[in-house]
Amino acid sequence: MHREAADHFFNPRNVGDASEPSFTGRSASLRCGAHVRFSIQVDEAHAVSQARFRVAGCNVLVAAASVLTEQVTGLSTAEAAAVGQKPAALIEHLGVEPANAQCVEIACEALLDAIRDYSNAVREDWAGDEALICTCFFVSERTIEREIQTHGLTTVAEVTKACNAGAGCGSCHQLIQEILATNDLPR
Amino acid sequence: MIYLDNNATTRVAPEVLDAMQPYLSEFFGNPSSAHALGREMKRAVEQSREQVATLIGAADTSEIVFTSCGSESDNWAIRGVLAAQPQKKHIVTTLVEHEAVRNLCRLLENEGYEVTWLGVDQNGELNLDHLRSALRPDTALVSIMLANNETGVLFPMEEIGHIVRENSQAVFHVDGVQAVGKIPIDLKSTAVDLFALSGHKLHAPQGIGALYVRKGISLLPLIVGGAQEQGRRAGTSAVPNIVGLGAACRLAHEDNNHERIEKLRNRLEDEILKQIPNARLNGVADRSKRLPNTANISFEYVDGQSILMHLDQAGICVSTGSACHSTTHESSPTLRAMNVPYTAAQGSVRFSLGRYNTEADIDITLQVLPEIIAKLAAMSPYQQIRV
Repeated sequence: MHREAADHFFNPRNVGDASEPSFTGRSASLRCGAHVRFSIQVDEAHAVSQARFRVAGCNVLVAAASVLTEQVTGLSTAEAAAVGQKPAALIEHLGVEPANAQCVEIACEALLDAIRDYSNAVREDWAGDEALICTCFFVSERTIEREIQTHGLTTVAEVTKACNAGAGCGSCHQLIQEILATNDLPR
Repeated sequence: MIYLDNNATTRVAPEVLDAMQPYLSEFFGNPSSAHALGREMKRAVEQSREQVATLIGAADTSEIVFTSCGSESDNWAIRGVLAAQPQKKHIVTTLVEHEAVRNLCRLLENEGYEVTWLGVDQNGELNLDHLRSALRPDTALVSIMLANNETGVLFPMEEIGHIVRENSQAVFHVDGVQAVGKIPIDLKSTAVDLFALSGHKLHAPQGIGALYVRKGISLLPLIVGGAQEQGRRAGTSAVPNIVGLGAACRLAHEDNNHERIEKLRNRLEDEILKQIPNARLNGVADRSKRLPNTANISFEYVDGQSILMHLDQAGICVSTGSACHSTTHESSPTLRAMNVPYTAAQGSVRFSLGRYNTEADIDITLQVLPEIIAKLAAMSPYQQIRV
């Protein structure tokens, strides 16, 4: 583990809970018994204005969660989700041994879970004319349908490639799957 | 540095090092050689054998065989007994044995043996009625430790020996690795047939162990080769280490530190349980049923590995039963067998004291620990401890 990681373990940043209204995510590992909780506050521009964490786990998990809170503060939820999707980058950045890779992965997973919590809430509250599906990249149901029909898309990955929907926190993958099923026209 | 991890290994005592030194320099012979140098080596080995026999109360020095470590002693005892009576296919052991016994018995299950795994209660104690009813005519071996390496809980070796002797024809093996040098042991007054010990747990160097083999017990060798150790364990004798083990046994036998260590442990344990919220003792509260040097304490809702790293930074060495820390990523089987709640097992810390600990060590530990636990508890995601 690099010096930066040790510093974050001994002096963790952003411990606690984000101020309300906040969105939370959890992850845990049955394998190593660790438990991590992320809470974020998101501003009107969809940027993470506050990130906080709690951990009962090893030094690697504490360091990873602490570093993540610093990395994602100020980022849009889409950018923050991109950070959460790349545990390998954080593993390398912190100099974590392969045996402890999972500790970083569950920290990233808890972050993504918090972003999904936010995305689901935004989607619920969405009052626009068209149903909003991907809240990270603001892609509506109609856009997705149009892409599917125009290009004959059949998988979530193809939809993501075509219009970015689903490229962020991943909370809309199930919804995209359902849209695909509805538009599964005989060819 | 404050070393509170003496159940993991111990510092080689200066007296032990002094005794070994000549056998790492001018006395370099092979004890199997007939010349003067060889004879001196042989003399030294036999003197050590006597010192080991004295410490554990063997009736005869020939009952002591030197091995490379505790794990070899355990493996040899178990495999040797089974090989000597191939018609018997049943083993009785416990869920809380050291890996050397536990993992070997798991392996033997795949080799056609039936193993009865005795559990323990929440205090870490055995139910001897379960042992009684587990014994069968085809039980080849009963292998039960004397002192648990994690909690220090003692199993009643004498009583177990009587039960095994009265109710079966089984050979009784005891993994005594964690107990030797910490409590008085007198094997001749027990029904113990085989007894494993390891040097580095009692201030001898790593790489030396011994197996007590009661006269009349038939045990096939594990390591085959030359006729060393009366043909029971081949391989050139590791004379410096053997001399070290002998010296360590003499030191433990003459030692007057035991009471002092126990007092230090008692103070550490009492103060931690008194001062720190959510701290709970793992193992029976009655201290006469535990090793005098061990305190295994869980700090609920925080992780033992994090506690360990913070103590480490403060220069204090301990062990943890946290799954995260172990190479197998498995929480302590002993604590699981005791039904310790998961959130407590994860926060378990083993403090194991030794002859070089001082009052000041305990003072500093008691000064540093509460802050560490408070800091980690404030970080915990578990709701239970949030105010």
